[in-house]
Amino acid sequence: MDISVGAGLIAVGAGIAVLTGLMTGIGQGNAAGKAVEAVGRNPEAENKIRAMLILGDAIAETCAIYGMLIAFLLIFVFPGIVK
Amino acid sequence: MNIFTSPIKIQVEVFAILLIVSFIFFLLVMINRALKKTDVYAKPKGLVLIALIYYKFMLQLTTDNMGKKAAKIYAPYIATVALFMVISNLSGLIGLAQPTANLSVTLSLALITWILIQSTKFRTQGYKAYFHGFIEPIPPFIIPNFFGTIAPLISMSMRLFGNITSGGTIMTLIYVFTQWLSSWVPVIGGFNFIGVVFAPILHFYFDVFSGFIQTYIFIMLTTIFVGNELPQE
Repeated sequence: MDISVGAGLIAVGAGIAVLTGLMTGIGQGNAAGKAVEAVGRNPEAENKIRAMLILGDAIAETCAIYGMLIAFLLIFVFPGIVK
Repeated sequence: MNIFTSPIKIQVEVFAILLIVSFIFFLLVMINRALKKTDVYAKPKGLVLIALIYYKFMLQLTTDNMGKKAAKIYAPYIATVALFMVISNLSGLIGLAQPTANLSVTLSLALITWILIQSTKFRTQGYKAYFHGFIEPIPPFIIPNFFGTIAPLISMSMRLFGNITSGGTIMTLIYVFTQWLSSWVPVIGGFNFIGVVFAPILHFYFDVFSGFIQTYIFIMLTTIFVGNELPQE
């Protein structure tokens, strides 16, 4: 297989861009743990806690989503522009 | 020259959307006919029971986040979007090209939500206060406020698109890998007999579970974002 060095470097860049999902996993797992703890302490407020957990997860997940967006742009759009 | 070779390209997901919409139409016609025949004072069962549970669940969710008055207006839209999204997330199991694995479809759905948020802001605060809110508290804050307004649109569309597309991609990779593995077995190697053992559990996580959770997240975020802008009571 002969791929030019430029295309290989684009692939490496796309792989590095997805590394932003690392801390997202740690953070959202932490948030889920605290939510379970809060429900255990106060079982009546389960609906409110679930709503707040999902809202907090969705906002913190934007880091990983923007990393995936950059990876998609590098793989699918960048070669067409540079050539 | 048919529609596949014409200069105007029609994407494959359009046919999947037409099929899903006609399926939903026939489902609702059947529920309507079953509803006309039921006794009001007896216990509901069958299709009517499922429809009643779904209706109660959607009404409860919108009332929790938006208050009673606004929930009557928004609950039908939320229920329709949820039904369409669930069926199209799961349609990969039947063999259709999933509509929500196409960025155009998810961008349209997120655009409707975004327009709802901005128009609710307009109606509650007025035009002057909306544009004045961009330069609060001090004028250099216009850049973070601008990105904070654009962010729900991009994140909601990309979240749904990324989850559904990556589910399909991972399942394709697993099928290719198990095909290569089972080609080493001498006699029956042509048939991918390792893949059919391991694939159903992974389908259950990547397609079924992920489809339901993404639908729930989408409708929760819509109701929470719009409910934040409504006047407090």
